[in-house]
Amino acid sequence: MKVSYNWLNTYVSLEGVTPEKLADVLTNAGLEVEGIEYQASGTNLVIGYVLEKKPHPDSDHLNVCQVDLGDGIPTQIVCGAPNVDAGQKVIVAKVGAKLPGGEIKATKVRGQESNGMICALFELGVDKKMLREDQIEGIEILPEDAPLGCEDPLGYLGLNDAILDVKQTPNRADFMAMWSVAMETGAILNREVHLPDYDVISDKGIEPTLKIASATENCPVFLGRIINKVKVGPSPKWMSDHLHAAGIKSINNVVDISNYVMLETGQPLHFYDLAKMPHREITVVDDVDMTMTALDGVEYEIKKGDLLITTGGQPTGVAGIMGGDDSKIDEETTGIIIESALFNALSIRSTARRLGLNTEACSRFIKGLEPQAQIKGMKRAVQLLQEYADADGIEELVQIGEINKELTKVTETLEHINKHLGTEFKLDEVVDILQRLNLQPVVNGITISMTIPSYRTDLAIPEDIDEEVIRLLGYDRLPDALPTMTATCGKLTPKQKLRRTAQSVLSGLGLREIETYTLVSDRYIQDSVMPLGETVVLASPMSEERKNVRQSLFSTMLECLSYNQARKIEDVNLFEISSVYSKDQETQKLGIVMSGNLQSSRLHHIQNPSDFYNAKGVLMALLKKLGYDENRIYFKENTVDTDHFHPYRSAAIYLGKELLGILGQIHPLMQKKYSCSSCIYAEINLDCILKAKASKVKFVPLDRYPSVKRDIALVMDKDVTAEKLLEIIKKTDRHMIRNVEVFDVYEGEHIESTKKSIALSVTYQSDHTLTDMEVNEVHEKMLENLRNECNALLRV
Amino acid sequence: MEIIEKVKDEGLQAIQNCTDSKELNQLKVTYLGKKGPVQALMAQMKDLSNEEKPKFGAEVNQLKQLLANAIDEKAKALEEMEMVKKLESEKIDITLPPIETKLGTLHPLTVVQQEIEDLFIGMGYQVAEGPEVEIDEYNFTRANTPEGHPARDMQDTFYIDPTTLLRTQTTAIQMRVLDTAKGKLPIKVICPGKVYRRDDDDATHSHQFTQMEGLVVGENITLADLKGTLQFMADAMFGEGRLLRFRPSYFPFTEPSVEVDVSCHVCQGKGCNVCKQTGWIEVLGAGMVHPNVLEMAGFDSKKCSGFAFGAGIERIAMLKYGIDDIRNFYTNDVRFLKNFNRFD
Repeated sequence: MKVSYNWLNTYVSLEGVTPEKLADVLTNAGLEVEGIEYQASGTNLVIGYVLEKKPHPDSDHLNVCQVDLGDGIPTQIVCGAPNVDAGQKVIVAKVGAKLPGGEIKATKVRGQESNGMICALFELGVDKKMLREDQIEGIEILPEDAPLGCEDPLGYLGLNDAILDVKQTPNRADFMAMWSVAMETGAILNREVHLPDYDVISDKGIEPTLKIASATENCPVFLGRIINKVKVGPSPKWMSDHLHAAGIKSINNVVDISNYVMLETGQPLHFYDLAKMPHREITVVDDVDMTMTALDGVEYEIKKGDLLITTGGQPTGVAGIMGGDDSKIDEETTGIIIESALFNALSIRSTARRLGLNTEACSRFIKGLEPQAQIKGMKRAVQLLQEYADADGIEELVQIGEINKELTKVTETLEHINKHLGTEFKLDEVVDILQRLNLQPVVNGITISMTIPSYRTDLAIPEDIDEEVIRLLGYDRLPDALPTMTATCGKLTPKQKLRRTAQSVLSGLGLREIETYTLVSDRYIQDSVMPLGETVVLASPMSEERKNVRQSLFSTMLECLSYNQARKIEDVNLFEISSVYSKDQETQKLGIVMSGNLQSSRLHHIQNPSDFYNAKGVLMALLKKLGYDENRIYFKENTVDTDHFHPYRSAAIYLGKELLGILGQIHPLMQKKYSCSSCIYAEINLDCILKAKASKVKFVPLDRYPSVKRDIALVMDKDVTAEKLLEIIKKTDRHMIRNVEVFDVYEGEHIESTKKSIALSVTYQSDHTLTDMEVNEVHEKMLENLRNECNALLRV
Repeated sequence: MEIIEKVKDEGLQAIQNCTDSKELNQLKVTYLGKKGPVQALMAQMKDLSNEEKPKFGAEVNQLKQLLANAIDEKAKALEEMEMVKKLESEKIDITLPPIETKLGTLHPLTVVQQEIEDLFIGMGYQVAEGPEVEIDEYNFTRANTPEGHPARDMQDTFYIDPTTLLRTQTTAIQMRVLDTAKGKLPIKVICPGKVYRRDDDDATHSHQFTQMEGLVVGENITLADLKGTLQFMADAMFGEGRLLRFRPSYFPFTEPSVEVDVSCHVCQGKGCNVCKQTGWIEVLGAGMVHPNVLEMAGFDSKKCSGFAFGAGIERIAMLKYGIDDIRNFYTNDVRFLKNFNRFD
């Protein structure tokens, strides 16, 4: 809401309080001022008199003027405005004047000297929206009686106002009314507030001829009143100035009064031209489909559910948003119907949004009116119409619906205030604040009873009062303390610990953590690795790109890889941990992308490529750290997902029988789709890990006897896996065979084309020093097993 | 006798002049070997009288010992010298670049989040989490924001169906914590998490961002307790000695509600670009838990009270590291990520 400093000053003295200072105190008390705007600005201005105007010899649109700046001496100024003429009083910016557009300098315009500028209002910073066409096209022509030589033409014009842009919180809808802002300012500054006494206006009048009805519960209250005689004319200057400052254009006294009362009281009003209303009848409906032309001349489509004002069955206004064109006030108007009604906020909001209209009126309905707003608005309008539009033939008020006039009572104690806030405020200072806020505190023993004024709809419980007290006494009086309570144990849950471990292990191994968006496109959601189920889709997404809640990290991680590779970053090793969702499941996943090298140095001839085996190592390191060793983790042929992974370079990872995730080179088609290089991707379901028990850390006594190592090279069919081989070896003697290391895999020369060779180192150990014979026995048995079970023969 | 002296002088001289161990070995053979001068002197013994023999013998033995010692010493010296030479020849350029041990990095949001979590864990808080696909009830209704409430602007929320949405605030976690507690006190949690709002992404807005809220409920919890608690947080985030400023504000789920400003960590409150010349930066929203919130979760608001606070992790990270565009957090340019290898 835009609050005019000058206007506010008419209710509560702002003497000694600059607009900046006012902004400061309001902000500190909770009414945040987001900015201060000066209506117009300019230094070195003066009211001058055009003595003479001659056409510029070298121009067909410029004029050379002689202007008296109040010193009786003609000053030559070249002026381009079409409306400048001798005999006018004008605003002159003298040489050295600083205007919003820059500084005025003595200059020559096409050879003619020019010592200043005759100004149009917009050149002084006045918003063009506030000006008439002729004011925008030409200079401002002042009244004949304007004081020549006056050095404050802005003050003379009432353009010296500062406008505070006030941001209201949703609980203080009352700040949409100047009266409420004035009450608040008075309370903060501890100064008296003088509001107009509208209550003297009686509801009585001549026999009412108006009939009102509402066919919808979304219009629970409607106050109407016919004023048979009004005189349309210009508004008093103060009123048009105030409206101007609030950003509303002055039209005529009657229209201005409806706007002025809305700004004063917060109650949007509508005036209908009595003569243009075919019937003295108003019915509010919300069940028609039709089109109608509103005040702004635009045709709007009305649908069922929109609140509509009708007369004689014909529409005459979109309720609470904009009146109809047919019944609008103009110079010919001689009588009016006043509408002061309550319309449902949600209904107004949905209509306004659909029609793309955001008027001052509808924003007030949407934010909510105080219960007595309709009464205040009606009375105040009648009062101003009597004073400034010669209102006569005033009929008695017609009302449908009940207005709740009962005021809320709140009872509070000083003890509760101090206990809740942790303060030590004294009774007298608290009572003083409550008085300043117009809460009419009555102290009775330990209780303070208050009667809440109708406009403070935000005050209902003692805690609300606590806030009032401390915000006005000042938060700088709040002491520092810490909660005193039973000691609690601060710790992470197993799930959180797991996440932290993963983050620390993976970042320690050289991977970078990333965070990508949860919402993805249809194109991306297709590429879910280990999808959970039916996708969660937004009801009304903002874009196709952000439409589905992801089930996998695959797409967004590859997108990130592609982004970095496009920027010539070669080693991109990333991980992300995030919750993913389907309609009936939530789980936490880990995604890993590896490309380029984990480590490399040309200088030192070292290269540690981000390949399958390195990624496998990274995963195993993580799983071991989490308490799951090789004996429980299986890498099996990936038959789960060969759409996103290279079918022969990927593995399904199992923890026992549970599928943990998939690891492998991405499918070439994915490379193409995401415009990235070949890379390794792994996705692990972290919640799955949590379900399996981690092994306990347990000390195993150190071996006291020497071990024996035997190297062997075996030849076998290509499709025999290393895992199979190791299993056969280990099971030969689980006690004596302590470790098997694969140290070479070979295919090619000297080996049949369907075969491969694998070299292994087997370590034997026992609880005594092993003899050759003992080792030989097991070793031979092992070779026999290998021969029998997978036709693996010693290479000769 | 003169011969002995001569052999001695010559021998010692030769040993002294010797420069490598091979030559020294040769000298050893030359002087102490069977055909050497010492042995020759020994052979002369048989020609001497019995009186002369012992003296001469002793002197030759002495000579032999002397030369042997000299050779040993020289051998040691030569060995040492050779070691020095060998080491010298093995010199490397220690200024060449190392084999870089590449450490990864945590995401800056993780770094800031963990730092705050650890601070509060140290004060006895637990870390509570909740689903991002949340029900309207926890996100709004329980947070004292019933349907039709002005604070519940439809435009801001990603709805999935009329009762399900992407949570717009981690307040939803607080409401779950209250619900789960079933009236049992005390409650001390912090609630980090991703939240979502219908905002177009630009330098300062993101449809997805991260919040961290805190909630304490017990007997006699006061607004002053909140201030003391937030002082710790401000100091941990932006360095010791921060000043706090509370400004009245409004949240449906707290009463009173405040915005909390922290004195600017860049200019120490003197005024700079970061704090827009005000000396203060707005980082937290907070307040006393609204009695309606407590009552709806089954607590007796007459017998207990609580405070809650919340901050945006992105905002803290942006202020702390001077990041000017929130989209950086979600673009994950490796050159951006490289900066965040530690908290400071």
